[in-house]
Amino acid sequence: MKNRAHSLLKTDFRRNWVLYAMFLPVAAYFLVFYYAPMVGVSIAFQKFNMRRGIFGSDWVGFDNFATLFSGDTFPLVMRNTSVIALLNLTVGFVVPIILAIVFSELRDSAKAYKRTVQTISYMPFFVAAVVTTSLVKEFLGASGGLTKILSFFGLEQQNWLANPKPPVFWIIMCATEIWQGMGYGAIVYVAAIASINGDLFEAAAIDGANRWKRLWRITLPSITPLIIMMLTLKAGTVLMTGFDKALLLYMPKTYDVSDVLYTYTYRMAFSAQADYGLSAASGLFQSAINTTLLLASNYISRKVAKTSLF
Amino acid sequence: MEPTKVQNRIRAKRVHSGMVGGHSVADEITDVIIGLILLGVAFICVIPLWHVLMASLSDGRALLAHDGALLLPVGKLNFEGYKLVFKDSAILKGYGNTLLYVVCATSIGMCINIVGGYVLSRKTAFRPFMIIMLMFTMMFNGGLIPTYNVIRALGFVGTRWSLIIPGCTMAIFVIMLMNAFQSVPESTLESAAIDGAGHFRIMLQVALPQTGGITVVVLLNTVIIQWNAWFNASIYVTNKRDLWPLQLWIRQIVADNANILQGASPDYDRLLIQYAVIMAATIPILVAFPFFQKKLEAGVITGGVKG
Repeated sequence: MKNRAHSLLKTDFRRNWVLYAMFLPVAAYFLVFYYAPMVGVSIAFQKFNMRRGIFGSDWVGFDNFATLFSGDTFPLVMRNTSVIALLNLTVGFVVPIILAIVFSELRDSAKAYKRTVQTISYMPFFVAAVVTTSLVKEFLGASGGLTKILSFFGLEQQNWLANPKPPVFWIIMCATEIWQGMGYGAIVYVAAIASINGDLFEAAAIDGANRWKRLWRITLPSITPLIIMMLTLKAGTVLMTGFDKALLLYMPKTYDVSDVLYTYTYRMAFSAQADYGLSAASGLFQSAINTTLLLASNYISRKVAKTSLF
Repeated sequence: MEPTKVQNRIRAKRVHSGMVGGHSVADEITDVIIGLILLGVAFICVIPLWHVLMASLSDGRALLAHDGALLLPVGKLNFEGYKLVFKDSAILKGYGNTLLYVVCATSIGMCINIVGGYVLSRKTAFRPFMIIMLMFTMMFNGGLIPTYNVIRALGFVGTRWSLIIPGCTMAIFVIMLMNAFQSVPESTLESAAIDGAGHFRIMLQVALPQTGGITVVVLLNTVIIQWNAWFNASIYVTNKRDLWPLQLWIRQIVADNANILQGASPDYDRLLIQYAVIMAATIPILVAFPFFQKKLEAGVITGGVKG
């Protein structure tokens, strides 16, 4: 038995060695840039010393994690991260669906109009994070366009990005995400709605169902599986996307509401108060949460929507 | 005669858009409201960049005194900002760097994607193992500091390599190409093999042209990611301004301007340069956009349907 497996492998290798040779550089790339850092994660358990490296530094067990979890900033960081992620997962998730429904409710004679608006609506997705955040700063600064509109509604004219009161920064983050992602996120729903069998709408209309009823009874039920799938996918990646914008938008004055795991890890790594062990611990913690979310959402997606990423 | 399927669909579409049973007034109003909502959406998506474009063409002094979003340039039409951008050797260098990084990273990344995708699409004994090896990197990563340490150990920190190699691809792109190669009919590949073509020939001349949209989608995504990239540059070449891509210059100029304008006698043209440079960095993508939007859209849809 063992011998047979051995000879099978041998045949496979004789036949496919060219393929394996081709794969070597690819494997090398992922080993160096993805797997080597995973080994380097060990510095989260060390009192890391740059000069002595990861093999020479002293091991301190879970000390870095103890420091991380007991620090004053950690509860705030966790709160900010969760709130922003939750906003993106709820409001940020629903807006593209609503937009797609509005697109599909446009009458057929306005096809060119629909096409134009749809194209415009997902253009922001391709705008760079640096540019997007510059636009946010421009519009929400003390004399920005949006600030002016808000002051028209009785809100004090101010630089909104410097406002350290709780919901302000979170709303800015979520709104930025929506501006960038709504059109792009709508594409897949627009396609799904367009592929619903038109007979259903006809039958419903003949039976006297108005637009609103058709929306709730036909359109939404038809795309529910897709919605569930997209929601689980998004839940799995919600902590990985968009947070570089926090790094570009936050400032010391607003740390209490704007500091998230991503920015905290960054600051502990590259600033005057750098602490590599602590940063690695917080980075590992972040990765662990990401992995858990991804696997959990993948599991749910496989059970509920019968599709999965892995 | 039974109505054909097409006729059915056309009728159904009419029903869907409220055209059967006459135009009720309520339906007409709803149609108008929907049209207006979409107009608002388009406005919201366009106005930020439009404002920047108008600001870049404004008179610096008038612009500084102006509050709120611009629909038209304020003061005399003025191209000083763009002149400054094209005279500023640092920004031009940044532009050149960005182009260099996009071209190099995309080329290297696509080589990895195509070769990796092709190998993974073939039936070999180690295929499941190789797939798991890639998939795992999508689930877990070492994080900021451990990655930095690896790049440092390679001697990449402070060099262009740190911006070309580490971010040039990711597992999902290789997997996408694997799926694309798998969709190519096995028979065409077999007949090529019988004709004596080697794996490289089959991969590049027979299979790759048949992968269709997905290769283009991966390519476009890589280009856009590279064009917009700033984070790696900010940590790996922090103090080497010679190597900065355009995006880092934008960040720097916007930050500098916030301080300059606090001064007693601000340089008004300096104010314009930030708007001009934002446009210079964004216009290429927006101009190219109509040409590749169909492909990208198709990519998103198949990605969403397949999961």
